[in-house]
Amino acid sequence: MTLALVVVPLVLLLLGFPIFLVLLTSVTAMLMFVMGIQPAVLHQNLFGTINQFALLAVPFFIYAGELMGRGSVAQRLVDFVQSAASPVRGSLGITTVGTTTIFGAISGVSAAAVATIGKVMYPAMRKAGYPDHFAAGLITAVGAIDIIIPPSIPMIVYGAAAEESVPRLYAAGIIPGLLIAGMLAAYVIWYCRKHDIGRGSPFEWKRFLYATQRGLWALGAPFIILGGIYGGVFSPTEAAAVACIYAGLVTRFVFHELTFKDIVEAASATAVFSAQILIIVACAGVFSWILTSNQVPSMLAAWLQHYSVTPWMFLLAINVLLLAVGCFLDPLSAILLLTPLLVPMVKAIGIDTVHFGIVVTVNLAIGLFHPPFGINIFVAQSVLGIPLKVLYRGIIPFLFVYLVALAIITYIPDVSLIGVKLLMGK
Amino acid sequence: MVNRVVGSLMRILEVTLGVALIAIVLLNFANVVGRYVFNHSLLGAEEVQVYTMIWIAFLGAGIVTWRNMHLRMDAIAINFPQPVKTALRWIEAALAIAVVGYAITQSSWFYVNRIFAFGSKSDVAHIPMWIPHSAVLIGLGLVIIMLILRAAGFGAPPIEDPESAALEQRQ
Repeated sequence: MTLALVVVPLVLLLLGFPIFLVLLTSVTAMLMFVMGIQPAVLHQNLFGTINQFALLAVPFFIYAGELMGRGSVAQRLVDFVQSAASPVRGSLGITTVGTTTIFGAISGVSAAAVATIGKVMYPAMRKAGYPDHFAAGLITAVGAIDIIIPPSIPMIVYGAAAEESVPRLYAAGIIPGLLIAGMLAAYVIWYCRKHDIGRGSPFEWKRFLYATQRGLWALGAPFIILGGIYGGVFSPTEAAAVACIYAGLVTRFVFHELTFKDIVEAASATAVFSAQILIIVACAGVFSWILTSNQVPSMLAAWLQHYSVTPWMFLLAINVLLLAVGCFLDPLSAILLLTPLLVPMVKAIGIDTVHFGIVVTVNLAIGLFHPPFGINIFVAQSVLGIPLKVLYRGIIPFLFVYLVALAIITYIPDVSLIGVKLLMGK
Repeated sequence: MVNRVVGSLMRILEVTLGVALIAIVLLNFANVVGRYVFNHSLLGAEEVQVYTMIWIAFLGAGIVTWRNMHLRMDAIAINFPQPVKTALRWIEAALAIAVVGYAITQSSWFYVNRIFAFGSKSDVAHIPMWIPHSAVLIGLGLVIIMLILRAAGFGAPPIEDPESAALEQRQ
């Protein structure tokens, strides 16, 4: 059993085999050589795992982000944040943080934010005298906020894997996302003061009002999504569908940027991207069923209780594990592989599964830009043409900012749970 | 020739799946509007949406296989010497064909036939359940065809987008 459930998947994973194949191979080996039960359970679980209404939010939110990302939404958000932040020292850096945070409340796909906002902000920051490594590091690191601020695709997948409520996870993600944004902005201001760059310019009401008017439609999306969910108007899946309709109408009829062909094109790209994720979700469902049937999670939980592992020690170990995993594996695959194993232990040790979902998401968000292999590093390198050496140098200080935020989020559960209490009353 | 024909078929499938996605977005939205404006929900709309998503997932997996876009942890494997990489590609193809073949022949084929014979239907929309379940069978069948084609040296490069371009660069 250990061979089929641990050794085989680990070896195949390290050899670079597709994640769905890693999971399916392990499952097939268990069914054929260990469990000796009807193979029909394989089909039943492949189908049953993605036969969930909540998972529809995955393609829907990706589609909304695709539509919004194809037009001038990023530029409009940049103009809006910049007009508001202009008097502050480091206003361009703060604009990058602010715009990415708002973009995250629309899209939830981190690489898209790095590419879209990076294209606008990197040349502007260089022109304003920001050092290359600082601008590159900021753009690469700040994109990770997008999977922490709701709507977040990894949180939907965690919700499905851990059987946890997505609205609760979203409510819990708001304050940690804003905390990280605030800490990044504070670091930008400190850095700009220290190096005497990025002097602010006087606030102009005319410019602010014009930018607000231009950005109003783009700013409407987060209000519809979050307002709809917490106002009790829609479920997260319905909010995602409404966001798609809103994004389609705004980009087609208000901004006049997308044609109907572009709208279908965005849907086609979304379908393929969603299939990439959902095939792993389906295979992970069977893997999870095999683990549960063989009582692996409960054995691990019993082991933890036997050695009197405290939540503090457990969370520290989890942070180290997830930071390492996040360097090599994308957040969705990591969540699908680890959640079935970790959540029973988390419950046994008395940690809130919503808080744990946020800890997992923040860890894996850091993995998105953690040297040497974080995917956003390569997105920035490819889209902005920044050399790796410059990127690595620039990322390190931001990595420390994130690690401090991670420690706060990990060891002060209320940073996450207060959002749930405020928005959902319990 | 094979690349062109299969590439075109995959493109048609991709657009079809895109249109299906738009259809379920509209259906979902219609349901929300129906509930608040007309105080009436479309019965079975949720089932139709979820089953369409299942078709998108499994048929889309065929396109993903054809374009070699499956998510993988390749940060270590990219540093292997070329002969090892080539050998691993062959092992991967053989293993994938064996494992997906097992899922089709030993599980999905049997399950879909059984559910067809039973004539079971969904709870609300009364959709014959062999239709959504066939998505797994047909989707995995498409995946295995694409795996065989790729093993034979055919296949399309991934679509150009920042993330896949970055992944390519990483390799």
